[in-house]
Amino acid sequence: MPESALQLPPVGEPILTLRGVTKHYGEKRAAHDINLAIPRGSIYGFLGPNGAGKTTTIRSIMNIILPDAGEILLAGRRLDRTLSDHVGYLPEERGLYRKMKCRDQLGFLAELKGVPRREALARADRWLDRLDLGAWKDRKVETLSKGMQQKIQFAATFIFGPDLVILDEVFSGLDPLNIELLREMILEEKAKGTTILFSTHMLHEAEKICDAICLIEGGEVILDGTMAEVRAAFPLRSVRVAWEGDAAPPEGLPGVRHVEHHEGSWRLTLDEGADPAALLPHLVAAGRLTFFSANRPSLGEIFLAAVSRQRREVAA
Amino acid sequence: MSRVLTIIRKEYLERVRSKSFMIGTLLGPALMSMFIWLPVMVAGSGGDDERTIGVVDLSGDSFGSFAAALDERGAAHLHLLPVGCEGRQEADCVAELKSMVVDGTVHSGVVIAADFLETGKAVFYNKSVGALVVLDNTLRPALSRALREGRFAAAAVDRDLYGYLTAGSEWSSISLTPEGGEEQQDGDMAVGMAFVLIMIIYIMVIMYGSHTLTAVIEEKNTRMAEVLLASVSPNDLMLGKVLGIGAAGLTQFGIWALTFFALSQRGVTVGEFTLDVGFLTPIILVSFVVFFVLGFFLYATLYAGVGAMCNTVQDSQQFHTPLAMGMVVPMMLLALVLRAPDSTAAVVLSLVPLFAPVLMFMRVCVETPPLWQIVLSWVLMIVSILLSARAAGKLFRVGILMYGASPTWATLLKALRT
Repeated sequence: MPESALQLPPVGEPILTLRGVTKHYGEKRAAHDINLAIPRGSIYGFLGPNGAGKTTTIRSIMNIILPDAGEILLAGRRLDRTLSDHVGYLPEERGLYRKMKCRDQLGFLAELKGVPRREALARADRWLDRLDLGAWKDRKVETLSKGMQQKIQFAATFIFGPDLVILDEVFSGLDPLNIELLREMILEEKAKGTTILFSTHMLHEAEKICDAICLIEGGEVILDGTMAEVRAAFPLRSVRVAWEGDAAPPEGLPGVRHVEHHEGSWRLTLDEGADPAALLPHLVAAGRLTFFSANRPSLGEIFLAAVSRQRREVAA
Repeated sequence: MSRVLTIIRKEYLERVRSKSFMIGTLLGPALMSMFIWLPVMVAGSGGDDERTIGVVDLSGDSFGSFAAALDERGAAHLHLLPVGCEGRQEADCVAELKSMVVDGTVHSGVVIAADFLETGKAVFYNKSVGALVVLDNTLRPALSRALREGRFAAAAVDRDLYGYLTAGSEWSSISLTPEGGEEQQDGDMAVGMAFVLIMIIYIMVIMYGSHTLTAVIEEKNTRMAEVLLASVSPNDLMLGKVLGIGAAGLTQFGIWALTFFALSQRGVTVGEFTLDVGFLTPIILVSFVVFFVLGFFLYATLYAGVGAMCNTVQDSQQFHTPLAMGMVVPMMLLALVLRAPDSTAAVVLSLVPLFAPVLMFMRVCVETPPLWQIVLSWVLMIVSILLSARAAGKLFRVGILMYGASPTWATLLKALRT
């Protein structure tokens, strides 16, 4: 129930824009010249290893730290505290009042975002039911399991109906069942038009859910775009193949740059632009083929490729 | 502003509903009255044990007036046991008395010399040094009086004339108000009452001040800081916490105050010490409430600032002492202010915001200082509260990024400058 009305852009247009956001801690560049445009209604992966600068950037968005330079816009307006009612935040450092009852806790956090008290408590009940925690609403938070507490925290992030939600490592410490439950809820919220900034170092989780991503490393954005764009930029680069008798691949395969044996099959890295289909006849000719797969690269592989490309560019 | 109210309500309800609040509300008056009554009780009962004192009256006629003088001084716990000496050697009588003291038949012994009226000589026999208190406080003045009476009687002065000649001066004490009015005043009572009120301020400020400290540290221990700062500004958060906890403290105090007035109506008597509610003139009552509230919030915001920088209560210990000093130092300066409430030193010290709740309030109680000084001290305190709340907000913002590291004075100052 945001206090100030916000003119939201059409779905697909940027709702959150970062321009040149920079934060240095002494010598360390926690975030350097971060430029991002996050489309409304998307799940946007904010990816990178631990210590890459994700949390620093997020804290800048949330006004918890002041960046040294750059600006952050929400729907074209400077994102200051007056707009914070439009933004939900699930920090990596989870926190709940341990002695507070679940329902009171959710009500309190919703009220802090401007939802009137009565409505806040009604919504708390709805969310607790939705998360299968209805029976626990009058129990103190400290009596809940860690997974249940995470679900409470998750509900607190959405309960006030934000336009933008920032989830920092939302799945960490959850069992697969609960991960699946939360993933469905994130998709439901997205369907309602909520934009989600999904920050994680677990690239395979991001791959399943994100519409667009940005990869950050050493405080800098090294790659960003929709999943389609990113995949187009990093086309198929390798095939896996195996022959009867675990035979080795022949020398001099056209368009193959590197060969390595990996878990019972051979992994052939191709030159840029090489076509796996053109390679297939040569592989068949080399012996009785038992396995062939041309996988599209995983986000992990794309990340590694992007990092090494970045380093080559810096070196050049 | 509605966010601040939300936080106030949460902090307030959380405290008022807790078990420790109920226990504290019940036990508080008991503890406080112990602070006030225990010294009074101890002082009043000291040395009141029953004691028997053997007396050898060699002068022959002093025992009666000695016993009468003791009675008049209200020393009912001292029993005089005459040790007869007719037809015996003086030395034998004294020896008998000494052995009585040694074997415990009597606690101590007094020998009044034969030429007592001329020389005033007497000897006191005792086993423990502690008995000397009885000698100095009771026996010596009583025997001196017996001596005086004996000498006046020997000079044939009659009793009325004797009473007239030895009477002391009669005093009454009147305090003048600025308007030129007069009021009867009991100086000791005013100071005593002021002291009681100051103790109340002192205890509440220390007790609830440290509540804010733990409450702020709790935000970090439960890792709530980041969640909360995504919704409210650090300043609003600090303000809400301090006001919420403060309101709980005031509720508790309000309960006590109402109970006290309901029970006492006009005054409470403890032994010889009377707490007279009539002492609370409007100006004293108003200043008490204002100094109570302002002192409370000043220390609460300071404690909040310390809590913002610390991760554990242990971390905060090093900052605890300087803060507590702010309350202890004025306690030590009270004597100075009492001796000369309008001296330059007293005026300046009582304007210092940290000291004002004790020193300025004591000045208000013992001699109404100029109104501008009282108001100035209030203004200075309000300004300090706002500054310290701001600082606490700043420290909190910096402090949440400092999980793990113990704060030092250097990081504290650095955080305040940014």
